Amino acid sequence: MEGIPREVLEIADGIRSMRIRGAGKIARSAAEALKIAAEKYEDAREPGVFRKYMARVADLLIETRPTAVSLPNAVMYVMQAVFTPASDFETLRNSVVSAATRFIEESNNAVKRIAEFGSRRIKENSVILTHCHSTAAVSVITEAYKQGKVVKVYSTETRPFYQGRITTRQLIENGVPVVQIPDSAVRYFMHEVDQVVIGADTITSNGAVVNKIGTSQVALVAHEARVRVFVAAETYKFSPMTVIGELVPIEFRDPSEVVPAEWLQVHRNVRVLNPSFDVTPPEYIDAIITEVGVIPPQGAIMILTERLGWAIDKIKQAGLTKLRFEDLVEE
Amino acid sequence: MSVLRREGFAERPTGSELIMNLLDAAQEAAAGGDCLKLVKFLRDRYIQFSRERPGSAGLFNVIRHILTHVRDHGCTGVRDYIAGLKESYDKALWSASEVMAKRIVDGEVLMTNSNSLAVRRLFEILVRNKVKFSVYVLESRPGLEGLILADYLDKLGVETYLIVDSAARFFMKNIDKVVVGAEAVAANGAIVSKVGTSLMALVASEARVRFFTIAPTLKISLETVYGELIKLPEGDWRLLMNEETRKSLPEKYVAKAPLYDVTPPNMIDGVATELGLYPPQSIPILVKTIYGSYPPQLTPLEKLFSELLGGG
Repeated sequence: MEGIPREVLEIADGIRSMRIRGAGKIARSAAEALKIAAEKYEDAREPGVFRKYMARVADLLIETRPTAVSLPNAVMYVMQAVFTPASDFETLRNSVVSAATRFIEESNNAVKRIAEFGSRRIKENSVILTHCHSTAAVSVITEAYKQGKVVKVYSTETRPFYQGRITTRQLIENGVPVVQIPDSAVRYFMHEVDQVVIGADTITSNGAVVNKIGTSQVALVAHEARVRVFVAAETYKFSPMTVIGELVPIEFRDPSEVVPAEWLQVHRNVRVLNPSFDVTPPEYIDAIITEVGVIPPQGAIMILTERLGWAIDKIKQAGLTKLRFEDLVEE
Repeated sequence: MSVLRREGFAERPTGSELIMNLLDAAQEAAAGGDCLKLVKFLRDRYIQFSRERPGSAGLFNVIRHILTHVRDHGCTGVRDYIAGLKESYDKALWSASEVMAKRIVDGEVLMTNSNSLAVRRLFEILVRNKVKFSVYVLESRPGLEGLILADYLDKLGVETYLIVDSAARFFMKNIDKVVVGAEAVAANGAIVSKVGTSLMALVASEARVRFFTIAPTLKISLETVYGELIKLPEGDWRLLMNEETRKSLPEKYVAKAPLYDVTPPNMIDGVATELGLYPPQSIPILVKTIYGSYPPQLTPLEKLFSELLGGG
């Protein structure tokens, strides 16, 4: 931790302790931390020493949340600038600071752009169905509603944690007519639905979407009913690790989220399995709406190579499943 | 369990339990040898069921059977007739579960939802026959009856996995067979079951997992032969939470909770009845076997009531 500014350590701690939450916030905070680290750097004014220092900060940040995809993506975006060849220190530092600033700005504008692009895909008089809670999806729906295109929204409860209630609350606040339904009723209502709009937790290199448990069923039901499925997702949700074949780990959460612990204690033969995500195959998705444009799910690989190509090269080069920037610094 | 009430947990009688309860109550109504009282009782129930459980074909069939008996034979022997109906339904339910049990082999992993009496009996038979199996149970909102079934399986000593309704597709690859109960079987082989069943059936069909329903023939909805659509009741937020939780949500919060949905015949591999395992498309054959002709000679319930009550 020596030589790393206090503000940077505070951000790292905030991400680790989950004080800083949500994919977008985590990503922007990490970029902010790198920016502060660059600005407050006081050691030798030599590119090599500076790179080594920045790599330490990057590794520190990445370690705070090993499973979040937005975090390494933000860090890699900025670190690409750190590793660009530069003869003098000031130019290098400036380019790092501006890369971090650019990332934060782009991220802040991403939801607005997604809402703009996504709302164009919603037809007149649409009934929309959404699952779980996604800021990007809510923004698309709200924007389309403002354009007078949305008649009604079905929002699933999303057991076990009822994130659908957050969605419903936000849509009500935005004036959008919304009806909450149990997750089991998705097929019952699908014949009334024109479009499905959902968010994503992670998008893999083959265009599969990792999102809240139940998403893949919603997409399957929509597919059966020939209802279009749109995924609203910022580009930092695309996982570079999946390019080298890494699987996205799916967390099994505590059984007490589903039934009270006391219930489980008296039912010894019953185990509660509580996976928090599932994988929706690309064939059930009509388009992914990102801040850089609308792409087919199979175009995910392009987003990854275009936006994160440098990081993927490094990952391949080092054969790392866990990226360590310090190892990448050449002496 | 008070915590669970917050999530809308509620004990409700299953379709088969309702049929048994109706037969018991009819027996009581006929106790004084007064058939007018019995018919009036049945009419009240008919009105109630049409409103609350319009999809439960078994209830309407029971009412039709008793009314037809009263019309054809008067009041004599009606109590024996009702007792006979109950006994034969109970037997039919066991037989249908026995038929299904024959299709489950050692080591299989099953998935089911809700809390069907027929499915509970299937599990009981399998345990009795020392068949080793495990079960994935969906919690089955609204109502969370899956918890009651999981409790039953726990007491039977069966390895049970409880999952949220949304996780059916996640686990479908682990499953050998899906087995569910039914409220009604339509003439075309579609079944009416707890909401979410059709979703589970679709997920099973995508994964090429076999899907069965256990339904005694009393659950065949004869009205559907004549094009009648089975009505499905819907509830509101009260089925999903208690007052306290509702208060924490915005005033404008609206929820819709259907109780049943329809699973199309193309997603069903077999209907286990007391007469054997039938493909859903062969329901007309079953109807002909039981009622002697297809389409069956059917007097509408409304007409039977007005005949017996003289328009009153």
